[in-house]
Amino acid sequence: MTVVMHSVALTKRSVRGRIRQPAVLAPSFIFPLFFAALGSASFSRLADDPYFSTNIASSFLNYAVAGAILQGVLFASTSAAGDLATDIEQGFFERLLASPISRTSIVFGRLAGSMVVGVVQVTVFLIIFAAFGARVESGPLGIVGLIVGASLLGLAMSALMAGLAIKSGSPEVVQGAFPLVFVLMFLSSAFFPRYYMSGWYRTVADWNPLSHVVEGMQGFMNQDLDISQFLKAWLIPLAIAIISIAFALRTLQRRLAAS
Amino acid sequence: MNEAPIIASGLVRHFGSGENIVKAVDGVDLEVRQGEIFGFLGPNGAGKSTTVRMLTTLLTPTSGTARVAGFDVVTEANKVRRSIGVALQDAAIDPLMTGRELLELQSVLYGLPKVTGRQRGIELLERVGLTAAADRRVGTYSGGMRRRLDLALSLVHEPSVLFLDEPTTGLDPMSRLTLWEEVRRLNSNGTTVLLTTQYLEEADQLADRIAIIDHGRIVREGVPRDLKAQVGSPTLTISVGSTHSDQARSILSGFGELRPTAEGTLGVGLARGAEDVAAVIRALDEAGLKVRHLQLDEPSLDDVFAEATGYRLEGAASQGPSEALPEEDVEPVRGRRRSR
Repeated sequence: MTVVMHSVALTKRSVRGRIRQPAVLAPSFIFPLFFAALGSASFSRLADDPYFSTNIASSFLNYAVAGAILQGVLFASTSAAGDLATDIEQGFFERLLASPISRTSIVFGRLAGSMVVGVVQVTVFLIIFAAFGARVESGPLGIVGLIVGASLLGLAMSALMAGLAIKSGSPEVVQGAFPLVFVLMFLSSAFFPRYYMSGWYRTVADWNPLSHVVEGMQGFMNQDLDISQFLKAWLIPLAIAIISIAFALRTLQRRLAAS
Repeated sequence: MNEAPIIASGLVRHFGSGENIVKAVDGVDLEVRQGEIFGFLGPNGAGKSTTVRMLTTLLTPTSGTARVAGFDVVTEANKVRRSIGVALQDAAIDPLMTGRELLELQSVLYGLPKVTGRQRGIELLERVGLTAAADRRVGTYSGGMRRRLDLALSLVHEPSVLFLDEPTTGLDPMSRLTLWEEVRRLNSNGTTVLLTTQYLEEADQLADRIAIIDHGRIVREGVPRDLKAQVGSPTLTISVGSTHSDQARSILSGFGELRPTAEGTLGVGLARGAEDVAAVIRALDEAGLKVRHLQLDEPSLDDVFAEATGYRLEGAASQGPSEALPEEDVEPVRGRRRSR
């Protein structure tokens, strides 16, 4: 029970910290919206292609929503892990270690904070995209599917980056790892459907788990509700989250053992 | 149970391995008694903070044992954490939070009920003079305000033992005095305080007992007055003008060992104490030498430090008039110089 209380208190701190750094928070909102707007303007005629309109999405904007959510979540996760690294570098982490709290709640507080920000972010994105004509074809359950999927992906990526933050104790290292995540995202179907890809790019996208996660989310946006959407948008991030959390906690354990 | 609140026995902490091993703490034995302020004095890198980090469970000892507030720092670490307050050297305070928010967070982490925590926060903010700044982000606080908030944070759960790691380093004189007052007040309420410092004056003013640590080992321990008495005689410093200095030096050497002093002055450790002052004046007068300036200094903690380590503590000269030496960094004492 106390672990939960401590985690909740640290989650509040994490969320508060995000809100109070608008310059850090803003890119995770602005860039995904910008990329979605750019994609919609550039590739709007794709909707005239019968395969696209029948099997993928009714409009490129509807297609781009999931990619924007993915991008926003990855931005926010990296920033949350960066905050954890800053705590380590500046000594607040040590203050927490000197208090009688479970060590795991220090990490869980950050991860939960990232999930909360993720939920808010998806909600804001859906409202903005709806204003421009996007629709969640799978209905209210699809909205829930998107929000939960984004939260799980946020959890997975935050935990992965948190592991890196704990290992390095350096915000610069965490920020330095972000381009790799960005490349992984570009090598997925977040911005363009796999159907139109070819060669090595297609092969990489086929194997990239982010392709399948984002396609699960695209399914919520553009198709009737289907179990496969939940499997892709929920189970894959959940599996990654379990592995990432284990990595983060193991790294924390090693850091503490070394001290 | 009347176990001392802090007991360390053969405490060792090494970093690295093989040829690169650094013996940060190399066998520290320590006993801090109930209700005292214990000053842990030493230069940077002497092992003060490493010792404190072991005693506060932030570092695992390489060997040796330590008990704090009746609990073992390794096997009962969480019980130790519940019993102690810690204000670390680099005041690690989240700049994005307000003072009030930080105190409330700390209350939750130490398991205080919400209402109690909020009330305690208000009391502590008042106590450290931060009520007006309570709802400002810590990033806007001055260094002194941060240190006071740091102290308040360490007191949220009313700990019986308080660790203050160089609490006044970098503070202006007024902020330093304010913090000293608060430490005294806490101590008068029964809190045992272990205070690390590199300021001799701070140790002298605050501590009931001190330990001097150098190269990871405690080289002196005791009541400041007793330690100063052990160093021996007071220093008489005179100024007679440069033309007569050789003659004056010769006269002074008859009263004790000559000591290094500021340029233009001569110093002697009076072997028979202050009672020799009159005899020195008479001897100088009989030799026709006019004394322009005269000062008698009792042995200081700087002398104790120098006696124990072979060098003077960095910055010691700025601590007070009785420690006004020409070279304040590493001062050879009685022919000995120790490399750092």
